[in-house]
Amino acid sequence: MAINRRNFIKKSGTLAAGALIAPYILPSGRLFAQTGSQIAEHVVYVLFAGGVRQQESVLQRYLDDSQGLGSNYAGNIMPNTFDGAAPTQKIVYGTGAGGPTPIPTILSQSLQQQGTLFKEMRSPTASHYNGLNALLQGSTANTQGLKSKPMYPTIFEYLRKHGGFPATKIWFVGNGIGNSVPLLNYSEYNGYGSKYGANFFAPSITFGDKGFDHLSNAKIYHPEDQLSPIYQMKYFLDNSFKNLGNALPLLNNTDEEKQDIKAFMDEMMNKTSAGTIDFPPVGDNGDLHTIGYACEVMRWFKPALTVVNMNNVDGCHSNFTGYLRNLHRADHALGHIWSCIQSIPEMAGNTVLIATPECGRNLQHNNIMDTENQWYAYDHSDQNSRRVFSLMAGAGVPSNLQIGSETNPIGLTTDGVPTIAEILGGNALKNDVLNSGFLAPGTQSLFDRI
Amino acid sequence: MQILINGMRVYFKLKTILIYLLFLALPFSCKKQDDSYIVNTELILPANAFKTKQKTDQQYVAILHANLFQQALSANELYDVAQCVESIGDKEVAREVIISNFMNKSGVIMPSDSMMRADIDGFIYETYKRFLVREPTEAETTYFKNYINSDPNVTPELVYFAFALSNEYLFY
Repeated sequence: MAINRRNFIKKSGTLAAGALIAPYILPSGRLFAQTGSQIAEHVVYVLFAGGVRQQESVLQRYLDDSQGLGSNYAGNIMPNTFDGAAPTQKIVYGTGAGGPTPIPTILSQSLQQQGTLFKEMRSPTASHYNGLNALLQGSTANTQGLKSKPMYPTIFEYLRKHGGFPATKIWFVGNGIGNSVPLLNYSEYNGYGSKYGANFFAPSITFGDKGFDHLSNAKIYHPEDQLSPIYQMKYFLDNSFKNLGNALPLLNNTDEEKQDIKAFMDEMMNKTSAGTIDFPPVGDNGDLHTIGYACEVMRWFKPALTVVNMNNVDGCHSNFTGYLRNLHRADHALGHIWSCIQSIPEMAGNTVLIATPECGRNLQHNNIMDTENQWYAYDHSDQNSRRVFSLMAGAGVPSNLQIGSETNPIGLTTDGVPTIAEILGGNALKNDVLNSGFLAPGTQSLFDRI
Repeated sequence: MQILINGMRVYFKLKTILIYLLFLALPFSCKKQDDSYIVNTELILPANAFKTKQKTDQQYVAILHANLFQQALSANELYDVAQCVESIGDKEVAREVIISNFMNKSGVIMPSDSMMRADIDGFIYETYKRFLVREPTEAETTYFKNYINSDPNVTPELVYFAFALSNEYLFY
């Protein structure tokens, strides 16, 4: 058969171009990750605190709307987050015995002034796990129970699958391993799942006592002389194994990324031992420790998305005084993480912080009183538990703007998912998420609500 | 006479019909025997394909410890190590760190490098039995034999590490 020279060159050229382009084609079919119209390169998404009552947070009522003590106790106990004067009487939320000394405010300008406050939003649920799912999936998942993965794709998966972000650029830092928190880093939805999931640490375990006992004494292997043969033999064994069971849930970190994660873990063990973790100035509860390690994750990996979960406020089920203290500390944590962002050159001025509680708390107290002040505690199951705020600050976010009010609620907690998509991937990624068909009805980007 | 003639006619008619019938039956009479045989479709799978249940974090840690130290991990330690695995999103990373921590402890029972090289076949056989609870195939034995012989850096520890990290080891 005679070779047609023109055809040969044409086909070879097409083949070569295909070979060059193929590695850059995303699973969504798009050629390159959307970057051109992104609002910022980094998002820090704080799942705020574990059920926060509007009354003690954004409404700044302190003891006025909870304990029947009269109306002389209003005031702002979240000075890094909101504008407003602190209470002047019965100060119990600070440090020292009885908590009389408020923690010094970290930020010279509150996040409310620096960004946009959605004063009255709605959570579609009054519970933690569904609330966290709403924040991460953009939809409610009423059929889910504990020990279940999210039903629909999470923001992590949208970013990795449609935005093309590598695994180590997407992080979820959990408050612990209870309440199925570690399961939230990816869904089991067909076509998404673990290969697009977020990297995860629960620092209270990974870098806590248990981590020190069982993870800190890792033997260091030479990358070429020792690790390379290990991986070569493993690959042979894997190729010889016919897996007819479930597919292994792999996050698809590359070998380099895995080495980087191990190096980070090693560094954290050293820094923890040396007492040099970037903890907030006051670090007397679990959330503040979690925030410290989240800062370290940001400093090391410079993630596109860092999600941090805090939950100490949930002590409100049985201890209102403790709740006030933990709320004050959650604000301290928020101030610290914002400060930390500004101290990382790659993230300063190029990051959006979003803080949203997964749910609120009841209007009426339960019958449990704390021992310290004989104050009633609050659960979360009524309509008041669906009242939350959301705060967004940073690059491209209008400053000193307030949206919505008690009589005019604007926004849903599910809005966080398309908002993050828009920040990191512009309208194209936002529309991918909005058009996925998985979001709760009425969900939209917070930027579209401004 | 008339009866005889009629009888002969009937006889000839019957004979003709019979001959026609025989001719019609000819194509269906003798048929050559089909000597071809059919084998039922059977999926041939390696022995390890029947491991379809994935170990839980606790099962993995417990079995790993038993395989390396030939001794059970205490219930408390098992609980703590499994929690450590749960606290890390990338389970491959978590397993690598756990294995390397175990390897750094004293008491791991494994042959010396010289013992391994003195009887590579035996070492490979024992390693497969210990970690994967099966015998190696000829191909697997050959691969490991060649691999160990070709690289002086390969020690029993590295081989054990690779087995403990393998996908097959995650199933039972």
